[in-house]
Amino acid sequence: MATTSRSSLKRYFDVNGWLFVAPAVALISLFMIYPIIRSLILSFYSGRGMMLKFSGSGNLVRLWNDPVFWKALENTVIFFIVQVPIMITMALILAAMLNNPKLRYSGLFRTMIFLPCVSSLVAYSILFKSMFSLDGVVNNTLLAMGIIGEPIGWLTDPFWAKVLIIIAITWRWTGYNMIFYLAALQNIDRSIYEAAKIDGVPSWGRFAFLTIPMLKPVILFTTITSTIGTLQLFDEVYNFTEGKGGPADSTLTLSLYIYNLTFRFMPSFGYAATVSYVIVLMVAVLSFLQFYAARERA
Amino acid sequence: MDYSRVLKRSVSAALTGAALLCSTAAFAGEVTVWCWDPNFNVAIMKEAAARYTAKHPDTTFNIVDFAKADVEQKLQTGLASGMTDTLPDIVLIEDYGAQKYLQSFPGAFAALTDKIDYSGFAKYKVDLMTLEGQVYGVPFDSGVTGLYYRKDYLEQAGYKASDMENLTWDRFIEIGKDVKAKTGHEMMALDTNDGGLIRIMMQSGGKWYFNDDGSLNITGNAALKAALETQARIVNEGVAKQTSGWNDGINALTSGDVASVLMGVWITGTVKSQADQAGKWALTAIPKLNIEGATAASNLGGSSWYVLEASAEKDEAIDFLNEVYAKDLDFYQKILTERGAVGSLLAARTGEAYQKPDDFFSGQTVWQNFADWLVQVPAVNYGVFTNELDTAVTANFPALLKGTPVDDVLKAIESQAAGQIQ
Repeated sequence: MATTSRSSLKRYFDVNGWLFVAPAVALISLFMIYPIIRSLILSFYSGRGMMLKFSGSGNLVRLWNDPVFWKALENTVIFFIVQVPIMITMALILAAMLNNPKLRYSGLFRTMIFLPCVSSLVAYSILFKSMFSLDGVVNNTLLAMGIIGEPIGWLTDPFWAKVLIIIAITWRWTGYNMIFYLAALQNIDRSIYEAAKIDGVPSWGRFAFLTIPMLKPVILFTTITSTIGTLQLFDEVYNFTEGKGGPADSTLTLSLYIYNLTFRFMPSFGYAATVSYVIVLMVAVLSFLQFYAARERA
Repeated sequence: MDYSRVLKRSVSAALTGAALLCSTAAFAGEVTVWCWDPNFNVAIMKEAAARYTAKHPDTTFNIVDFAKADVEQKLQTGLASGMTDTLPDIVLIEDYGAQKYLQSFPGAFAALTDKIDYSGFAKYKVDLMTLEGQVYGVPFDSGVTGLYYRKDYLEQAGYKASDMENLTWDRFIEIGKDVKAKTGHEMMALDTNDGGLIRIMMQSGGKWYFNDDGSLNITGNAALKAALETQARIVNEGVAKQTSGWNDGINALTSGDVASVLMGVWITGTVKSQADQAGKWALTAIPKLNIEGATAASNLGGSSWYVLEASAEKDEAIDFLNEVYAKDLDFYQKILTERGAVGSLLAARTGEAYQKPDDFFSGQTVWQNFADWLVQVPAVNYGVFTNELDTAVTANFPALLKGTPVDDVLKAIESQAAGQIQ
């Protein structure tokens, strides 16, 4: 016991070790730690453009009284609450289906489902915009099939615009999460399933009581990364709405609001920094909660 | 210490410095320009550059074509970060944003008060680039508005050109419903997520989001109220084809989907871009709001050129703008007929190009119309928060469609805006 602690102390004071990590530490300090501290300081300043003045908690007061911020927060939370569970469930089900050794062309299907997340963001946004426009292919198909009576304003109605964003990000990221599940499924010993089968466990039971518990660490991982991704949602909304988050601010997310505060409106760098710390805080709290929830049950 | 090396270095540094000075004096640099719209600003800047290089062969131009939002964002990022060497020498700024840049980045733009004769330009353009007695920028195009309509569609619906004169918005909506019923075409394309039409109507009523002192003017703003109500009627009565985004709207116009378009004069180039629609279009004044003091003239957009203070080619850039944009009357005639650019240099307004009939519009003297309307555009204070207010208006507009009383909507706009403009 004593020897180990002494040797670890010795390692602690060993200059060579520090020298090895020094370049990385220097780069991280310069490009991560410094901006983080600088933006924290910035969040206490307010003013137009470069005319910044120290304002103490001024930005927090502004944040509290800002209906647009609350709207953006609400939208972000809705996207996160609705979209992440849908996507995770779909990814799980798809992964379980594609993991079936009897399935033919499974490589093709896997590629097809994975492809969206490596497609060009702008290209897919433009394609989605034209597909979901008032007289686009989606509305025309739904009309022809008699599912809807009049075209849906996917891009002009506040409710449907939200739905469209959820459809778009689900389309794009489900395959990405599915790959994690597939990889994890490949590591599960088939004999467990065979044993369960012999014991007469039906296939849904094997999925619910074997697959899901064994995938728990991966589910936790994908949930956290998806949560963080959705809280930072920006690209889709920006491309679909020309950066406005419309109609009626219904697709405005916190990231887009930060962007608008910095680049489209009168530049308020301090206030934008304050809003970005809200995202930091939310990511931290939600990640902690998810870890906590997963740990308790394990 | 190796003195000979130090000496060599200082000599070479001095020589380089001297060479740089000489080059500046002889104007042999490359002037970089950022602007948007290849059919309009970019093409016009290329024409201006060609004219200048013809007289000053040592000067070269690098005209960079970005989307408008990209120009604004790149400019704002460059100014905020202080990395001025990433910025161009000349940049195009839309009038709504001019004061925002001047006030939030003091010292970023070159003051041109003594270098350009501003008395020759329309006063409202010069006012919006003036800050604390100094004038920045060279006024460029005006966004005077007009109503372009498809004669063929209106004739099918039983309307003559005389029916399109002296329109009110009530009459416009009535005609629009008729056109839709008889031809199946909507009267216009409308993106309710863009505040453009509201701004046009509001300014035609002589008001803006702000009073002259910059304070908010929302709940008591009769022109804004009428504009909101009118736009809600246009949507609810099915007169407009709802579009999303700029390209979608332009597509509706060029594909012949809609029967009219109400825009700034700079849209002329886009209207005329469909050669097969020649003879099918006509131009008239915009409809009037049903309030006191309303005019049939307004403004949408419009922009001006600004020189960056940190630019290495600053003097050259100023000289160029002064020589072409502030003096060359022939240049203005050319960009008017070729691109539909109504400049704000007053002397250029009397040229023969203005009287020239346009074949695309069946021989109508459209430019004369715009020149006439230009002087009737009510001057308003654009302030520094037009983008913020636009967002507040478009965010609250859907509530109006659903039947919320207009006064409540105005209150909601005001409270949202109050939080944004600090």
